[in-house]
Amino acid sequence: MDGRPHERQGQMDHGMVNAARAIGRGAARPPAARMRGAGIARALFGALAGLSLVAGVAGGLWRLGVAVPDPRLFPWSGQVLLVHAALMICGFLGTVIGLERAVALRRRAAFAAPLACGTGAWCLAFGYAGAGAWLGVAAAACFFAVNAMLVRRQWAAHTLLLLASAGAWLVGNLLFALGHGGHAVLPWWFAFLVMTIAAERLEMARLMRRRPAASAALYAMLSLLLLGAAWSGAAPRMGGLIYGTALALLAAWLLAFDIARRTVFSQGLARYMAVCLLGGYGWLGIAGVAWALTALGWPMRDVALHALGLGFVVSMMMGHAPVVLPAVARIKLAFGPAFYLPLAALHLSLLVRFAPGTTGETLRAAGAALNAVSLAFFAATMAAAALAWRLRHGAAGAREFT
Amino acid sequence: MSAAPAPPGAAPEPLAAAPFPYEGPAALREPIVAALSRVVDPEVSMSIVDVGLVYGVGVDAQSVHVRLTMTSAACPMAELIVGDAELELDKVVPPDLQIRVELVWEPPWTADRMSARAKWIMGW
Repeated sequence: MDGRPHERQGQMDHGMVNAARAIGRGAARPPAARMRGAGIARALFGALAGLSLVAGVAGGLWRLGVAVPDPRLFPWSGQVLLVHAALMICGFLGTVIGLERAVALRRRAAFAAPLACGTGAWCLAFGYAGAGAWLGVAAAACFFAVNAMLVRRQWAAHTLLLLASAGAWLVGNLLFALGHGGHAVLPWWFAFLVMTIAAERLEMARLMRRRPAASAALYAMLSLLLLGAAWSGAAPRMGGLIYGTALALLAAWLLAFDIARRTVFSQGLARYMAVCLLGGYGWLGIAGVAWALTALGWPMRDVALHALGLGFVVSMMMGHAPVVLPAVARIKLAFGPAFYLPLAALHLSLLVRFAPGTTGETLRAAGAALNAVSLAFFAATMAAAALAWRLRHGAAGAREFT
Repeated sequence: MSAAPAPPGAAPEPLAAAPFPYEGPAALREPIVAALSRVVDPEVSMSIVDVGLVYGVGVDAQSVHVRLTMTSAACPMAELIVGDAELELDKVVPPDLQIRVELVWEPPWTADRMSARAKWIMGW
């Protein structure tokens, strides 16, 4: 090792080359000022997403009458309760997905999207509803531009689907800012999440052999989903039926064609991710049926929304956190069998929440509280895994990675 | 480190047996293939060589130049995988050679690039 200083060429876009860099040997570390800046940025985005998650979960619990934490201690509890979905979907997941995409694009300006939606969520939580909603619109518009740049870099079915998902988020945020109700807004917000996941799974599905008709079937289902979302504002019954059908069909497609069917037979992290995915697809199917039944007048709205939001989306999040956290937050995790515990807790708590159906409000509230406990358990498991990795690799390994 | 870089001006040595196009001294071929094979795409738990993400490696008197792609331009793990490749190469490449890992998007990745082992795992 000659210890020459780390020599980076930074981002060099020439032709279709995205980035190239050269390292001198034995000193592959960025300058201290840059590391400090990156650390501050990570803390800022962590705070934005973290507050959205905590406030969103609290709002969800208060809606079901679970007074933990005590809402009287927070002057904004009424507002937080009202914007539970916006905090969870836009504030937390929007910020995280925005960060993920900005890291992929490698453009500093792309971080404006998660910054705007995270800040917007703070505004919503502290009672500045108008500012929060329009910051959400700005965030989605910026996010759409980021995805358009990714399409320019790689014109492919999955990047086009990601662009369409960004469009769905923008429509949802515009409707929210214009004062439309949940029946019009939520289908677009969930379409954003569902299409994001579908696009990522389609990308991975290219590793498996499949019939050409499979891709066409997926596009048809996602078109149906968007049709259902668009129809839901004007005709909630028909729109909900279409939307629920599309979700259920999508679950069947993912169960049939996702690489998780193969990777579930591998080991370690890949198997854990596959279990998260397959479990999530089961909840997606249940959410689809519940969404359609809700449209027909059945009292299954809680099942429809939370089988989708928690069972499907959070399962995906739990599965991807071990690979996304190192990439986005520069936090490496030591994988272990303990990862399965919060996942099992989430799924069991959803069973508790949904099992009583229409009769057991107390049990439903208990299930929701256990959902929150599962999320906290997951966060604690990730923190312990990060600590375990640091202990295993020492401070030198952590610096090398930062 | 047993392998030595080619002397300046030496003709690169094309290699048919490597799982990706390789031009450089024969002594470095195996350690470089082994190093890149230790880099794992965490999503599928397979090496980037098996997934077919390595488009080629060239070694001259000054540097090792690796051309890598990702299955998706929207993949946030690109930086991480590039970093892992650099760390693994750093273990096997002579210290006087610079390591240059380039992320490229042309030609686009297709499943045809997967190794026979990867295809077997994925049920082809």
